[in-house]
Amino acid sequence: MNMERFDPVTLEVIRNRLDMIAEEMQLTLLRSSCSPIVKEGLDASASLFTVDGVTLAQACAIPIHLATLIPAVAEITRRFPTEAMREGDIYLLNDPYAGGTHLPDIALVVPVFTAGRIIALAATMTHHQDVGGLAAGSVPTNATEIFQEGLRLPAVPWARAGVFDETLTSVLRANVRIPDVFIGDLHAQVAACRLGAARLAEAAARHGDNTLLTAFGLLIDRSEAMTRAALRAMPEGTWQAEDWLDNDGIALDVPLRIAVTATVRDGTIHFDLTGSSPQARGPVNAVPSGSLAAACFAVRAVTDPAIPNNGGCFRPISLTLPEGSIVNPRMPAPVNARSATIKRITGCMLAALAGAVPDRMPAPSAGELLVMAFGGHWADGSAFVTGELLAGGSGAGPGYDGVDAIETDATNCMNLPAEAMELEAPIRVRRWSLRRGSGGDGTFRGGLGQVKEYEVLSTIAAPLSFSHRGERHAIAASGLAGGGPGARAVSVITRADGTTETIASKRVTTLAAGDRVVVETAGGGGWGEAARRDSARRDEDAANGKIVLEGSA
Amino acid sequence: MTKAGGGFAVGIDIGGTFTDVVCTDGARSTIFKLPSTRDDPSRAVAAALARLADEHGIASSAITRFCHGTTVATNAVLERKGATVGLIATEGFADILELGRQMRRQMYDLALKPETPSWLAPGARRVEVRERVAADGSIVTPLDEDSARAAITRLVADGVEAIAVSLLFSFVNDAHEHRLRALIGEIAPGLPVSLSSEVDPAFREYERTVVTGFDAYVKPRVAHYLAGIADALAARGAPCTLAVMQSRGGLAGTETALRRPVRLFLSGPAAGLLGAASVAAAVGIGDIIAIDVGGTSSDIALVEGGRPSVRQEMSVDGYAIRVPTLDVVSIGAGGGSIAWVDGSGGLRVGPRSAGAEPGPACYGRGGTDATVTDASLALGLLDPDGFAGGRIMLSPARAAQAVADVAGRVGLTPEQAALGIHRVVNAQMADGIRLVSIRRGIDPRGFTLVPLGGAGGIHAAALAEELGITRVLVPRFPGVLAAAGLLVAPVAHEVSAAFHAPLAAVNAEDVSGVLATLDARAAALMAADGVTPSDATIRHEADMAYVGQSHTLAVPVDTAAPLAGLAARFEAAHARINGHATGAAVKIVNLRTVHEATAPIVVPTAAPEPGPSLVAERQARLPGMDRAAPVPVHARARIAEGAAIAGPAVIAQEDTTTLVPPGWTARALASGALLLVHGEP
Repeated sequence: MNMERFDPVTLEVIRNRLDMIAEEMQLTLLRSSCSPIVKEGLDASASLFTVDGVTLAQACAIPIHLATLIPAVAEITRRFPTEAMREGDIYLLNDPYAGGTHLPDIALVVPVFTAGRIIALAATMTHHQDVGGLAAGSVPTNATEIFQEGLRLPAVPWARAGVFDETLTSVLRANVRIPDVFIGDLHAQVAACRLGAARLAEAAARHGDNTLLTAFGLLIDRSEAMTRAALRAMPEGTWQAEDWLDNDGIALDVPLRIAVTATVRDGTIHFDLTGSSPQARGPVNAVPSGSLAAACFAVRAVTDPAIPNNGGCFRPISLTLPEGSIVNPRMPAPVNARSATIKRITGCMLAALAGAVPDRMPAPSAGELLVMAFGGHWADGSAFVTGELLAGGSGAGPGYDGVDAIETDATNCMNLPAEAMELEAPIRVRRWSLRRGSGGDGTFRGGLGQVKEYEVLSTIAAPLSFSHRGERHAIAASGLAGGGPGARAVSVITRADGTTETIASKRVTTLAAGDRVVVETAGGGGWGEAARRDSARRDEDAANGKIVLEGSA
Repeated sequence: MTKAGGGFAVGIDIGGTFTDVVCTDGARSTIFKLPSTRDDPSRAVAAALARLADEHGIASSAITRFCHGTTVATNAVLERKGATVGLIATEGFADILELGRQMRRQMYDLALKPETPSWLAPGARRVEVRERVAADGSIVTPLDEDSARAAITRLVADGVEAIAVSLLFSFVNDAHEHRLRALIGEIAPGLPVSLSSEVDPAFREYERTVVTGFDAYVKPRVAHYLAGIADALAARGAPCTLAVMQSRGGLAGTETALRRPVRLFLSGPAAGLLGAASVAAAVGIGDIIAIDVGGTSSDIALVEGGRPSVRQEMSVDGYAIRVPTLDVVSIGAGGGSIAWVDGSGGLRVGPRSAGAEPGPACYGRGGTDATVTDASLALGLLDPDGFAGGRIMLSPARAAQAVADVAGRVGLTPEQAALGIHRVVNAQMADGIRLVSIRRGIDPRGFTLVPLGGAGGIHAAALAEELGITRVLVPRFPGVLAAAGLLVAPVAHEVSAAFHAPLAAVNAEDVSGVLATLDARAAALMAADGVTPSDATIRHEADMAYVGQSHTLAVPVDTAAPLAGLAARFEAAHARINGHATGAAVKIVNLRTVHEATAPIVVPTAAPEPGPSLVAERQARLPGMDRAAPVPVHARARIAEGAAIAGPAVIAQEDTTTLVPPGWTARALASGALLLVHGEP
């Protein structure tokens, strides 16, 4: 390394600039996108890459996006070598079996030039509200093949030297339910990448492109060194954890196992997921980049989140992902529900690492992000697709209660305001509250889940499509150090005629006018013996309606 | 000093440590500082009036305007000393305040903390009433007055001191909220009430509930506080009403301010920015970027054409609150930011700060970490005996030791390390300036940088060079700009209404009708503050977005032809700010009117003192010098109008130090400000 000769001040100045550019790219994505899951759910991220495909800087509001652009950029540059890229090129990809994660996440990559020389790649990933397929919203829990999940894009150029391929545009438009929103959001990605490219070119003009390229390498090496040092500071050892997914959406009574063996040794960390269930018929399979994202999150959480986030952080991490398993499926297994799996993998990795840092690890969180999609037509014939993302409670820890209705681990999405939903879809929210009594009991109480009730209005043209992708309906978040488990999730459809249907975690169905859905998300695990809970805390919980008093349920 | 025809105007900015006072009759100004009296700020006001009378011959009876910037609302929140609030919500939605948006700010923390201000009204103090309004404003369930009376009675029995009412879709139909206020008035006459449809009539129920909750929380304390100051004025026989600064940079009378006290957050910084704008306007400069370098953070704002931009959301104690606020960006880099060396030998600066206690190592109060101020001292940029008017003695030895420690760990000489600390912190500040300029589609190079506060002058020229800015304007009294800004602030009121409709479905009469209603309400607020309609300027805006988007952009509306060119203006704004325009369908989300009556510009200044301005030479290394060398030090108070000082030079004054690096020339202007220009002899 020639770090001795490179001015450390200039290096820090360049690092700040790269982070700022990534942040600015992401702000553009979040502000100008139309998909509710992006504008309310923040499900989008922006990165800068070296021409070799190493992450330079990343702005992600959701950890699940950590590292997930790496295989996408690798595939695009494999198919379209950077030496042959031209200024004004735009590349798309979403195929999970060739660099993608699941079909709604579309990677869009733009080469960055300065004085005719390619110096980097600007990349964004946005979760699009609908990419076609079996059900509106493109998260069908009953898919059994990727072909049912929507439009599949291998690495393809959408524009060459500034000229868009209008044939491709027309194919894209023809395959999705809300084409204007879809194309609009792609253009928000283009704008974000072009902005990143322009800002990076300015930085190259200021510092010189050779200086900039040298700094890229040094910054990546430094993050690697810092991550290794942080791992070396942890006790060495091997620890195991397992947890379960409710089902795969097809076989509703068969839970699926996630098993993690974590080994910390000599500044490296290895996660072996051998023992996880074989690949599922339903869409809970996660391609390898999902486990990498989970590992990146877990390592940052237990080491030092201040380590500059770039590809160097990922180098000390290795994974064993058995082929043909739920964590490394074979084509054409469906994958749309993979975020549930990534959340559970993350939870297991953290639980295993509790062996290394036992005094810092809280009880398991609900680890549930309930994903729902509603889509159909208004009485006037116009189409709507909207989604909802609801969290459960977080786990309690040594010295603190869990937090109610809060995003945890690998996701960090906002919910949809009732007013936002009612302004855009023929649905009324009848109730939205904390789920009393759902937190795991303990010296410190787990966070509560939430309750939300929806009613379909009569302003629909025909019954709407409804996808419900839950977790923790069958298996609760456990407590830690003697604490009790959180409540399991419960979702019930009450049809207009009064009949009820309990959703076994995952379901795709239709809802007619007057049908109602009540969802109750899971609670977080408690920490420590319940008998040792401070009575003042119990009294406060009772006064504020967080627990159910005996005899008053 | 004699009383001019219009009487005297007094601006008082009460900060945590000092109360700044500026008094003017339009021709001459009196400026002084007093210690703040935190337990009862009205005592500082009384003391200021007494001092004006006793030492400056300005009788309280000659004071005809009294303008005030206050931190009372902010302090009530930071110290958790607001009212016991009860919250009334739509049946089924009492928990909205606590549910929030479920996102966590500390993404990688294992131990999570609540993200919502549920302490404003915990579950025990949240009640529901049976009622429901639909998205189109139609009533699904009429207000059940029995459930309403029961809910109110319960809150009153629990001893609440204020009530916040936030019902679903009240921004479309406010009838139920108004009826609830009437019922509260019957059951508990005089109890303060905040309605979400008045405080923040816009969609997203959590955000609206939060701002309404904060409004109720601070209302009783703000009322008590303002009454105390009004009493102090009355006791001294001052024939004036009290005007207070709102966060969006306009003055309001006590009565109007109390209707929405949540708008008083950031009262002080808003006044400071207006003060900076007026210093620039006095010399004919309308486009400025103001940077106030504090101890732990720096506040940055952009003023274009004399008008600071306003945004619709701000942050207090980490909570996002939807109130119109001058668009001030705060970054975690200031004079107290600590330099450190990370695990791989990289030099980092901040965001940890030494704050005021223990403060930088050179303060000698127990701090040992090298801060930006220590680096400044090590480079010879500060006078160790003249810092903060000589109130704090700096220790060069302690600064040198702290900087040397960092230098040793990063493998640099102490001087390289000190320069490096400056370069890194300047790069962070420059990124903050990019946020308010380039990020908004505005090229900063045509702007003038105006440093406020004490530490801005050290960094201003270097920041300007980093961004290609060629002019820096240093006010004569940068330390009291907030108090001065109060005197030039307009009386301003902003009234908005939700107006959800695709542009294609809107007709011009509907828009004109809503704007006329809003204008009537704004005019009534202006009239209540003593402004006649002919003295007010009126602007109209629409918050617009592409159909499907949530984030809006404010676009000017011409009431004569409200829809003409509206879509094109939105597309142009979208292309400028977000980098693309799609030509897709556009919608209106809110309509807004802003009424303003401006005051004449007053800039505090002082006649030059006799004697040569060159008072010393100091070994120093300014930006742009390749090594330390003796640098002339000038006393600001002695620089005559028109005098030019070529860099390198240091200009010292009681409340700030200004660097003039090589290639820059400083010139004293008639207004009293100092203009630094790059690239001119």
